[in-house]
Amino acid sequence: MLPARVQHLLTGRRLDWTLLACALIVSVAPVRLLRPWTNLVLVPFVPVTHLGTSLRDRIRPSIESFDPKSPETIALEAEVERMRTLYETSRLDALRLEEVIRGLQATSTRAGGGALLDVGATTASVVAGDPNGPHGVVRINAGSRHGVVAGSAVFVGGDVFAGLVSEDVGAFISTVLPSTRLPSIGCRLFPAEGSDPARPVAIAPGAVLKPTGRGTWTAEVASAGEIAVGMVARVTDERLPRSALGARVGRIVAVEPIEQVPLARRIEVEPITEARDAISAVVVIERRSDGGVGGPR
Amino acid sequence: MRWSVHLLAVLLAAALDAGLGGLFEIGSIRASILPSVVVFVALTAPKRIVLRAAMAGGLACDLFAPTVLADGSALVVPGPHILAFALGAAAVVPLRGLLYRQNPVSNAAAVVVFSAFAALGWISISIVRSAVLGSAVPWWPASGVGELLVQLMSALADGVLGLVVFWVLTRTKPIWGFESKTRLAPGMAREGL
Repeated sequence: MLPARVQHLLTGRRLDWTLLACALIVSVAPVRLLRPWTNLVLVPFVPVTHLGTSLRDRIRPSIESFDPKSPETIALEAEVERMRTLYETSRLDALRLEEVIRGLQATSTRAGGGALLDVGATTASVVAGDPNGPHGVVRINAGSRHGVVAGSAVFVGGDVFAGLVSEDVGAFISTVLPSTRLPSIGCRLFPAEGSDPARPVAIAPGAVLKPTGRGTWTAEVASAGEIAVGMVARVTDERLPRSALGARVGRIVAVEPIEQVPLARRIEVEPITEARDAISAVVVIERRSDGGVGGPR
Repeated sequence: MRWSVHLLAVLLAAALDAGLGGLFEIGSIRASILPSVVVFVALTAPKRIVLRAAMAGGLACDLFAPTVLADGSALVVPGPHILAFALGAAAVVPLRGLLYRQNPVSNAAAVVVFSAFAALGWISISIVRSAVLGSAVPWWPASGVGELLVQLMSALADGVLGLVVFWVLTRTKPIWGFESKTRLAPGMAREGL
């Protein structure tokens, strides 16, 4: 039995005021007093809300009801992936073409005009490396059908001498002997920032690079001139095609004295770029004075 | 009046508001079904229970519209809408004698009045709550005036939706069990003369 006073409050107009007073108290009650129980009050009514949401989904299907496994969705996703691939392909193709253009420009600038050379050039992609080692031969997708002949100089990155076309020239594919596999390369060493035009080029230290078998070269330089790490080795070897003259081939990575020869120093040179790391290469085909084509003289 | 029918109708309306709300939304203006149900009762049920019925509607509204706290959690505060709906019902009850209830527009007007007063009450209670507890008002960072305008526009939308809801509710009138106090006075017309 409720006390008489409470019963008195729960009748008629007094009940309304009692409820309003309770509502006002709860309205301004702190969160810590409400949190333990008010959210629980909602729990029994949650299923009722599903009625509204299911009706809404009937009227206007929501994104959540979108079936990702439907055939239309799978087909659209496949289409998107194809378009994405085409887009990336075109971007990569543009990058490759830009590299080719840069390479051809660099080659023609260097070999044409004042060089008095009658040269042709063809571009090729590096399609394979030597699976037996990182410093083996590489294959390019240009062959005799493209005018490639054995001994032609191969450049990457525009002006970096990467090697020579070997005797293994197919109709559509050729093998390139990397510069690190050549028996030796005659070169001169120039400062990385370029040589002083006021000084004769003959004073630039000369060196004969010999492969170390580790993908680098070594050379003994007998020169009183300054030799420092970072200097660039440029081809001056008369045995190589004329188009290779002046091309960059490597960069000094170590300089050490030779005890037996106080005025000489031993240097180690690493390739600036290797053919196996390049995407494309330029093969320069020189026409000899006798009308034929060929490589090293 | 049958309270079971009223509570069922209120819960159904609140659930539909919670679920279908997005369908009746234009920008931040949102029409609700629940005010029409409460006004229907306020105009039809005996005056002595109107306030209680309205508070039941407000409780349902509070249950289905939890407050979002600063930490992102939801909290049901059973109170603000109870008081707001009571204020709205108190504003509508005096209109009972003035409205021609067979006219749907007059019912819609009653819904607009109810919603406007309820909105005013809810905004007032929210301000009091935030002042007492030092918490942010529910419409933060918008201004109170901006929220009032939105609520008043929503009240107009409630009235428009009320045209449809009243049409449906009028057809369910028999199951509500409203008491009829219309007195039939004997006279010539009744005697068929």
